[in-house]
Amino acid sequence: MAVALKKPSTWAQYKTLLRKDLEQEFRTKEMLTSMGIYALLVLVVYGAALAQTTSTLDVLQMSGGLLWALIVFTSLLGLNRSFAHEKEQGCLEGILLVPLDRSVIFLAKATSNLLFLLAVEVVAVPLFYFFFLTTVTPGESFWLLAVPLFVGTVGVAGIGTLLSTITVNTRGKDVMLAVLFIPLVFPLLWACVSATTAVVVGAEGYMDVMLTSLALGVGYDVVMLLASWVLYDFVISA
Amino acid sequence: MDAAIETRKLSKVFGNRRAVDNVSITVPRGAFLSIFGPNGAGKTTLLRVLSTLSRATSGSAKLMGIDLKEEPDRVRDHIGLISHNSMLYPDLTAEENLMIYARLYGVEDPQARVRDLLEAVELKHRRLDVVRTFSRGMTQRLSIARALVHDPDVVFLDEPYSGLDPHAVDIFDELIGQQRADRTFVMVSHDLQKGFDMCTHALVLAKGRVVSFDEKDNLDFDEFHDLYRATVGMGVA
Repeated sequence: MAVALKKPSTWAQYKTLLRKDLEQEFRTKEMLTSMGIYALLVLVVYGAALAQTTSTLDVLQMSGGLLWALIVFTSLLGLNRSFAHEKEQGCLEGILLVPLDRSVIFLAKATSNLLFLLAVEVVAVPLFYFFFLTTVTPGESFWLLAVPLFVGTVGVAGIGTLLSTITVNTRGKDVMLAVLFIPLVFPLLWACVSATTAVVVGAEGYMDVMLTSLALGVGYDVVMLLASWVLYDFVISA
Repeated sequence: MDAAIETRKLSKVFGNRRAVDNVSITVPRGAFLSIFGPNGAGKTTLLRVLSTLSRATSGSAKLMGIDLKEEPDRVRDHIGLISHNSMLYPDLTAEENLMIYARLYGVEDPQARVRDLLEAVELKHRRLDVVRTFSRGMTQRLSIARALVHDPDVVFLDEPYSGLDPHAVDIFDELIGQQRADRTFVMVSHDLQKGFDMCTHALVLAKGRVVSFDEKDNLDFDEFHDLYRATVGMGVA
């Protein structure tokens, strides 16, 4: 008996792929565990490095940079693993055999990467605060930290998903991803460090600095996500 | 009879190497085509082009009358692929794996379809087990179910026996045999005897080119065997 098929909506295919990534991660906890442990270890290294500095060191002024270095390196680890399951047993080819818009694969993978990165940040940022900011007094604007974190993480997940697709079949993919990722994400990194530092310090005029930096960050996100979305068919079919 | 697969001067070039070189074949619907040839002959590349996983450099191909280059998504509705890679997520259960594909293809009653397929490949009792715990034979049976979830008209088999023990091979053959009615199969195999026994049409490739393409009824196995040995002697592309 013939099987009845009804072309699923893009939204339904997106949900299926996203659900697949989430189910897989919740079962193995591979990405979350490795990124979580890595983030903790980076914090320990920061602690050891900063413990030797003089008391005049302004941790508040450095906090934006330290936090984003932690996020970028942790995300590299996760992004490298995000396509590992897809390559195992040729699963990506199984998905490519399905009649679906390739950009749906990008959107689903970028969303799952975004959710995993945000989950790690939910743990890492309070730990960062506990380790480094309890002895100083962050500005009252500290609660706004979530905004640059979200804007930056969206860009990191988006461009990181595109680049991890490109590098998954290359030799030395771990290094290759970092080599491509860091220069490309630099404008976003600069904007987010600036916005993060502004809200953590909370000095006069912090809102202007934050908004200007975030405008750059959001602009970067929009341009890069659109470019990744458009280019994904070419990249994944190459 | 309408053609299931029709290629005209189909070529695939990697750098300065022609992996598939001007291949023109017509495979009727319901046929079983076995593709033979030495390593590097272009068998898998041809299969990848026909299954839309790779784009042809030149030439044309139609599957079920649909142009591969013009409407790849429509072609994908009609094809399934079983290879030595299972294309199954090892950390998801058998049922979850099939449900993913059933939903992506838009099967109207995915639960019923998955239940029927698991029963057909005799894995209903393991439906809630993660695929990582399956033997190679069980994984390959589940792979058949995955490839058939949308009831494709053309099924590609790329070295499907790789890593299977004799018992698993028998079960695999039986399952494929049950699915042959009204379906076209294209199999790449190094096992000349098995490939020849199963096929209705045989294609021999060497250096990407067609050495021989004919209906099995027109072929004598011993002569075909000699031709194949001579082809293997031609070496890789």
